Amino acid sequence: MTQSASISMADIYRFLSQSMQYPNPDWMDETYFSAINNFLDELGWQDEAEALSKSIGQGKEWLEPLQIEHTRLFVNAVPSVIAPPYGSVYLSDDGMLYGPSAVKTKQFYRERGFAPSGEYDIPDHLSFELEFLALLAEDDRQEDEELFLKEHFRPWFPKFRERVLAEGRHPFYRVLVNLIDFFTREELENGFESDET
Amino acid sequence: MALNLTRRKFLQTASLAAASAAMSGCFAKKADASAPFVRKPFTAPGSFAGTTTAVGGVCEMCFWRCQLVGKVRDGQLVKLEGNPKSIDNGQSICARGNAGVKLLYDPDRLKFPMKNVGKRGAPEWKRISWEEALDECASKLKAVVDKYGPQGIAIFPHGSSAKYPMTFFEHVVGTPNNSEASFFQCRGIRDTAYVATLDVAPGENVDMPNAKAIFLVGCHFGENVHVSHLKRYLKGLENGAKLIVVDPRFSASAAKADIWVKIKPGTDTAFLLAIMNYLVKEGKYDKKYVEEHGQGFDQFTKAIAHATPEWAAKICDIPAKQIKEVADMLAANAPSVSIHPGRHVSWHGNDFQRERSLACLTGLLGAIGVKGGFVAGKGPKSGKAGWPKPMAEHAEKYALHKLAKVHPYSPPGTPTDLIRNAAVTGKPYPIKGFVAWGQNPIQTIPDQALTIKMLQQMDFVLVCDVMPTDITMYADILLPESSYLERYDHIQKGTQWNFADPHQQFITARMPLVSPTAADHERKDSVWIVNELAKRMGYGEHIKVQSGEDMTDKILAGAEPPLSIEQLRKEDGIHVQPGVDPYGKALDVYFFSEDIAAAGFPGAPTYIPVPEPPKGFARLVYGRAPVHTFNRTMNNAWLHNEMPTNPVWLNDESAKKMGLKDGDSVMLVNQDGVKSRTSTVVKVTPGIRKDTVYMAHGYGTMNPLMTVGAGAGVDDQSLISKSAVDPETGAHGMRNNFVKFIKDGKELSIPA
Repeated sequence: MTQSASISMADIYRFLSQSMQYPNPDWMDETYFSAINNFLDELGWQDEAEALSKSIGQGKEWLEPLQIEHTRLFVNAVPSVIAPPYGSVYLSDDGMLYGPSAVKTKQFYRERGFAPSGEYDIPDHLSFELEFLALLAEDDRQEDEELFLKEHFRPWFPKFRERVLAEGRHPFYRVLVNLIDFFTREELENGFESDET
Repeated sequence: MALNLTRRKFLQTASLAAASAAMSGCFAKKADASAPFVRKPFTAPGSFAGTTTAVGGVCEMCFWRCQLVGKVRDGQLVKLEGNPKSIDNGQSICARGNAGVKLLYDPDRLKFPMKNVGKRGAPEWKRISWEEALDECASKLKAVVDKYGPQGIAIFPHGSSAKYPMTFFEHVVGTPNNSEASFFQCRGIRDTAYVATLDVAPGENVDMPNAKAIFLVGCHFGENVHVSHLKRYLKGLENGAKLIVVDPRFSASAAKADIWVKIKPGTDTAFLLAIMNYLVKEGKYDKKYVEEHGQGFDQFTKAIAHATPEWAAKICDIPAKQIKEVADMLAANAPSVSIHPGRHVSWHGNDFQRERSLACLTGLLGAIGVKGGFVAGKGPKSGKAGWPKPMAEHAEKYALHKLAKVHPYSPPGTPTDLIRNAAVTGKPYPIKGFVAWGQNPIQTIPDQALTIKMLQQMDFVLVCDVMPTDITMYADILLPESSYLERYDHIQKGTQWNFADPHQQFITARMPLVSPTAADHERKDSVWIVNELAKRMGYGEHIKVQSGEDMTDKILAGAEPPLSIEQLRKEDGIHVQPGVDPYGKALDVYFFSEDIAAAGFPGAPTYIPVPEPPKGFARLVYGRAPVHTFNRTMNNAWLHNEMPTNPVWLNDESAKKMGLKDGDSVMLVNQDGVKSRTSTVVKVTPGIRKDTVYMAHGYGTMNPLMTVGAGAGVDDQSLISKSAVDPETGAHGMRNNFVKFIKDGKELSIPA
């Protein structure tokens, strides 16, 4: 990859991380939707682009359904939170937050010279991990990036994605987890994707 | 999706630059917000490198409030331990105390303010901002006050963090309708009965380590775990105290007893009257103490003269000989006997009289102010901080029990049943705003259907809690609170646990062991939340403390010598100073109370029979489990693992007749046809009476958001559909409900 591709990859990671934040009008606006549409176009994901514009495009009542869906999927829902966005929920025996895998993830950050700052705490939150990948991409540390994906991100992300795809009611998050999946999948030298599921 | 395009190929496409530029526009404006990472060279840690000890923890996995330290690594709490400086629990904490770590990191914890966009009872949650949540709560509560008066709001608080909101609604907004579960469904009866008899609320102040005999009615220590209290009890037994346990069940305490009195539930007062009558008749009481400190003794002895051991034996279904044996054992060891006042005492609706009897028995034995007797330690002084009381008079005027002239011995607040009835009937005035703070009234109050009816008729329901307990399902707005490990809010005071040791006092304040803020949630503490509500409701001028920290500092400043959070930290979290000798203080004993008689109740302790089980049913009795605190801990993964369900105890001979084996799965149905929502297993044992079944309280959570605890075991409260109300206090009695079993869809009668 070229230098500029690495920087672009950082943008993509950050964009994906941003997209998984709670839907608020202060970032989820015209600019955002035109960016994601543009992005899906470039990828050639026409069906996804269409699904998004159908559910969000013209109608004015799109924000609240998205907020409810975000709460339902990632915060609280009946009968249970569908997909808590934390690695250790999928990796620890007892499905708790801040399990051993979260501690290992934090250790990885530190060994690479990044310390979680201030009051951010749970180190294996999806957005946290994507932001970290953005930093590695920015520094063009491809080896670390691949290693982090392999050992910390991919072990849980597919399970998280599966739940969102199975239970999600809004196309937005289904598209999002597929995008994240696409950009974090391991690739072999010949350009084929490895089969990990 | 285009099949052939891989990430790498995409990154090489020429059009990427444009797409990427569009994206960076989306988060550029967020870039200045605090970044999640800072660059920091790595230094390899040793095994304990970076582990710090945070002091000032005060446990609230139950309400005994042991003193803690937290072991913290990289901002993460890794372990809780007793504070080595503690003269109360010392280095010991119980299973629940240890499991506080799991509460802190429970993924089901409430994280953000939420609005119910579904229905009460069938909620659909939408995360909202604090701004929106507070605005909505304030405007809805204010609307209730404007339309119905302050008394139109009811508050159901529990725990340290609920004190600040409780006093706000009671004294500043001005509603009397405050129902504390710790009073009306627990110990309030004990407190007012002892005040009426000895002029002091008793706490659990019996000097068990130095007693020659310990007398427990229903207390099941070992299953009920409060660390320093257990230390006192066990030290007493270690020192050779005789133990008498009165319980229909072979409890953990009964297993250690010299005499186990397998009493018929509801008849304890008859038993106590017979003991006292026997002691009087035999002249085996403390004549000197009674002469010097007894009030109305002659009227008392006359009133209980009918209560012979033979009379009580029939009522209590125990041998008359055993009653005499117990009385003789108490007399032989008097005055060094610990007549335990109990803690959860809201049993049958005749409980004020039982608690009066216990206080009288204590006086009769002269077991007050002496080694082994009823002795309160003297803790240090502290200051006060919180709300002023501009509307206290208004609240007093609208108190339902005062308007109706009932329950003159009510503990502070208003009897729950009166609040609920007023809300449901609109009489004598409507109650249309509901606030639950740390309490789960679905599981604390009998008759769930009526509680739900009360909730459904409210104009507005606000719930603030740490976990999504059952009551949260009925909230319109649900607020997430910091846990006891993340906030300032409680001053704990006391003495060394054993009065035989040099006299000392301690004072400590709850301080956060880990940061209350983090990126994955927006929890706040109650002082902040209530202050924000107060400002929006127009009560901002009354705010006296700016934060939990400020309140704590102000209370500490009133200590002698004056203390501060900073000073406490310097002293490893606990200030210890020389104490005073607690012995030697005698108390007057109102054996017969003119006041109680004037209020229209029996002036001398009196046995009032309770309803009997209908044929085929057994009485449902509940109690504590050592690894749980009611429903509060049900979602804790460690504790759930220790005791995932609450087996229902059934007499072995009954089980045989019913064709049930130990471990069989059953559901329960009560006398009103109310069925348990879930099932549990049968524990077949000779250690329970045939007319009684027993289970631990707090199981069977209905809220599916409690993913560990939901549906585990049976909710005993769901089967307590018939409330009894103690006439003197207005507190609930919850052991007058009767159950049958259901196995494979078939109802099974329980043979008498």
